[in-house]
Amino acid sequence: MSAPIIRAQGLTKRFGDFTAVDNLSIEVAPGSIFAFLGANGSGKSTTIRMLIGLLRPTAGRIEVDGIDVIQRPRKVRDHIGYMGQKVSLYRGLSLRENVEFYAGLYGLAEAELERSWGALRERFSLGSAEKEKTEDLPAGIRQRAGLALSILHQPRVVFLDEPTAGVDVHNRGLFWELIQDEAQAGVTVFVTTHFLEEVDYCDWVCFIDAGRLIANAEPEALRQRYSYGYRVDVDVTPDERARAAALLGGAGGAVEHTGDGLQVSVPALDPQVLTMLDRFVEAYPRARVHIEQAQMTDIFRRVLAQAAA
Amino acid sequence: MNWRRLRTLMRREALATFRDPFTLTILVTVPLVALLLFGYVLSTEVKGLALGVLDNNGTSASRRLVAELAAKGTFDAHRYTTREALEGALVSGAISAAIIIPPDFDRDLRAAASGRDLPQIQLIYDGGEAVLAGNAEGFLRGLISATVAGLVADETPQVAGARPAALLPAAVPPRASGIEVVTRSVFNPKLDGTPFMVAGTFGFVLSFLTVLITAVSIVTEKLTGTFEQLQVTPATSMEILLGKLLPLGAVFAFDVVLMVLVAGFLLRVWPVGSALFFVIVSSFYVFVSLALGLIISATSATTAEAVQKSVLFSIPLVQLSGFAFPIRSMPTVVQWLTEVFPATHYIRISRAIYIRGEGPLSLLPEIALLALFAVVLMTYALRTIEARQ
Amino acid sequence: MTDRLTTHASPGRRHSFWSNVAAVAYKEASVIRHDKALLATVFAQPVMMLLLFGLALSNKPANVKWIVLDRNQSAVSRRLIQEVQSTGYFLPPQPVWSYDEGRQLLKNASALVFLIIPQNFRRDIERGQPRVQLLVDGSDPLSAARVAGYIGQVASTFATRPGVITAQVPGAPAVLPVPIDLRQRFWFNPTLLDRKFFLAALAGMLLTNLCLSATSGGLVAERESGTYEQMLALPTTPLEIVIGKLVPFVGLSYAVFFFSILAAGFFFGMWPQGSWLALLLVTLPFVLASLGIGVFVSTLAHTSAQAVFITVFFILPSFVLSGSMFPYQLMPHGVREVGALFPLRWYQIALRRIVERGGGFTDVAGPILALVILFGVILAGISWRMKPRLG
Repeated sequence: MSAPIIRAQGLTKRFGDFTAVDNLSIEVAPGSIFAFLGANGSGKSTTIRMLIGLLRPTAGRIEVDGIDVIQRPRKVRDHIGYMGQKVSLYRGLSLRENVEFYAGLYGLAEAELERSWGALRERFSLGSAEKEKTEDLPAGIRQRAGLALSILHQPRVVFLDEPTAGVDVHNRGLFWELIQDEAQAGVTVFVTTHFLEEVDYCDWVCFIDAGRLIANAEPEALRQRYSYGYRVDVDVTPDERARAAALLGGAGGAVEHTGDGLQVSVPALDPQVLTMLDRFVEAYPRARVHIEQAQMTDIFRRVLAQAAA
Repeated sequence: MNWRRLRTLMRREALATFRDPFTLTILVTVPLVALLLFGYVLSTEVKGLALGVLDNNGTSASRRLVAELAAKGTFDAHRYTTREALEGALVSGAISAAIIIPPDFDRDLRAAASGRDLPQIQLIYDGGEAVLAGNAEGFLRGLISATVAGLVADETPQVAGARPAALLPAAVPPRASGIEVVTRSVFNPKLDGTPFMVAGTFGFVLSFLTVLITAVSIVTEKLTGTFEQLQVTPATSMEILLGKLLPLGAVFAFDVVLMVLVAGFLLRVWPVGSALFFVIVSSFYVFVSLALGLIISATSATTAEAVQKSVLFSIPLVQLSGFAFPIRSMPTVVQWLTEVFPATHYIRISRAIYIRGEGPLSLLPEIALLALFAVVLMTYALRTIEARQ
Repeated sequence: MTDRLTTHASPGRRHSFWSNVAAVAYKEASVIRHDKALLATVFAQPVMMLLLFGLALSNKPANVKWIVLDRNQSAVSRRLIQEVQSTGYFLPPQPVWSYDEGRQLLKNASALVFLIIPQNFRRDIERGQPRVQLLVDGSDPLSAARVAGYIGQVASTFATRPGVITAQVPGAPAVLPVPIDLRQRFWFNPTLLDRKFFLAALAGMLLTNLCLSATSGGLVAERESGTYEQMLALPTTPLEIVIGKLVPFVGLSYAVFFFSILAAGFFFGMWPQGSWLALLLVTLPFVLASLGIGVFVSTLAHTSAQAVFITVFFILPSFVLSGSMFPYQLMPHGVREVGALFPLRWYQIALRRIVERGGGFTDVAGPILALVILFGVILAGISWRMKPRLG
């Protein structure tokens, strides 16, 4: 990758006897969505707080957008955006007033603000909420508003700490679309979450457990390494099975016979597998094909188990 | 220091405060209630004190004594016929004090007019209630003996001369003992307690309420996460500090003006010195309290904890600062301790301006000390905002 | 919700009332044990108030700075100064050499009183018309009046002729009537016997603080954190919940009560003269009334910050108007009656009667009745406030 926009080396944080983060090293590529996963109490929030300069590490180095965060925490603030676990909208103020507040703090000129907020308001569907008092906003809108505020000043890196906690599934999906849009536009997004299935939205994932890094790779790579990858189930009539099996076997995996039909596991949906599937569907247009990817929860569990061993 | 950032922070703080009806109510009612409580309730002249009377004499002279005692409204006289009834009334609290007029009162009065000792009125109070001791009892004695002496003076027309009956042993023929003390007061000639308490109430409100409100406000911000968010923005700690404290300071400065006006119009107590100077110094002291509130909030995780700490901290501060209890009466060690409280110095300044009319020049040392407190506390408060452990 | 309530009100469930209460009480007690802020109130505040009232706070003059202009400089004038000094309230007098000097010292509050002995003092004494002048700093009228009184007392009993024994007035010093016109507002210090006065009512003040802030803060905090709703979903009635919550506080209150009585006794020798049993008895309705007020406040406040504010600013007038710190008999009429609405008023009356005077059950009957009535009113207030929400 090109020079990483976030680089942490040997990051450690101790609170008295308790080690919250232990010798963590990560690199985040610019313009990527980096997921930082772990259970509650695993050190996620501690890490992110160190990365943004809110907490001083016991040991290690951090560089964000070329700035040494430990030496010059204040300098990094202009370059990053942050959305905390509790979406920090001020009570007693309307959304618009919150926007003006943060704009004032980031030194956005009036014209800039109109441009930036205007666009965000559109994309994030916040127009109707603008005049509302923030305490009256429902959770889904609050999250989107929080995200909008964190990128109002167009930072290159955005840190999101559990941004979808407490949000319903539908709004969560919308939210991730917005995140992916940002990444498309070149913004680097560093996200912590404990919703494992959200990993698949991301370009890179690292798992943390008890303060230690136990996985650090692309989601696909993890899937390949720690699971059956993808399971393809097809529904064929018994007499078609033999021929179908031969066709499927071309993907490389062992073909099993199930009650309804056949099942084969493939590590990834690479071109070879996709071609095979195309041919299969051509040959058996009435057959039902069901593809299932291994659940991140299973993958995570296996990663954990391996780390413990 | 970026002025735009500071303005932004201040504007937000002001908006949030003024839109919170509860805080506004507290900010207005508490100082007023405190003023009325301390300035009026505790300082007004005594009226209607229930006095039990056992008149064993029953002559016009004794009746006149009781009438004169009750005349000013200081006492409500209740008559009893037996000692048991009198004492029972004392114990039950129906009366606060009692006098027993001896059987030969009228004869003793006439005897005193020709140079013998004044007749003795027995004054009793219930030791259990222990209400009337110290000065109050002295007051009673004084009043009673004054009244008696006045009656005696009336019996001796040749001496009663120029002095009105209400004044005392000076009207009585020269006697064998006692020095007359002519007392005058520099400042506050009537020895009215109200200005004293009013000036002190400023100290109470600006110490207690200010710390409380600031601590709660900041802890609330921490709990909602907005404080943390602030720390990730380009705003510097100094800007955050001032952005919080300047608007709050302005609100409390307004409170000071309000209190000055209420004390003036309702309690008829106006500062003898410069009101403007007083408001300025008070606003200055407000910052000291605000800084304290901030420091307390830095160590509190919940609003309840912030309040408990504020209360735990403020109450001794107020009790020991000379507000209601004189510092000179405290043990020497404690007296030294009180000098460490900013409140002590502020209350001194407050009384100096309100009652003695002192000006900036003579108060310079105390003000300088307050300034020192302000600087030290603000610096410490600033450090708590830095927050990087 | 209403259905659940009506079912619970049916007699069939009555028999589990107390066990429900006990269960809630047990849970509450465990919560309390972990509540640091509350424990601070329970432990730190009593100790602090004990120290303050027992050791530090007093209205009795002491260490009074005074100045003397002795124009006579005779043995008798020196004797007068000596007699004033020996009352023990004063620091050694600072002599000044001119009226202006002394007055200036008064003006910047370097001294409280300024005694001026005239040139012809000794001659005046022989003539039988001795007179001295006293200038006081009126900016501290509380102390000034008392101290002037003491000096007056000394002056009035000053033996002007050797050999003449004048009748000393025993007990507290008297204020010799002075030309400060008594018809006008003569302010005198309503806070009196200091330590004993405060310590007698200490238990009342501590309990008021505990009961009010603990219940109101606790109940609102629960409502905020959502555990209150959770409890309403349990098979207990709201009444059982509230009572169960209050039970541990009754226990805590008695603990604090014992602490203040014992501490006042051990450290300051103030043991209750009267019936301990009566004390225990009157404490109950008082604690219930105070807890009730706490519950009522919790129905008024929306956030825990509000709850705590309301209680703190209810406690203040309670302390002042009840007669715990300042005698209520000396307050103006209307205000005196308002103070009777506070439970603390009646409790401190009972406390003083028993602790200071050695009273018994008959003495506390009145206060108990008043407290029970107040409790009833508070309960009515609570149920009125809670109705719309449960209905």
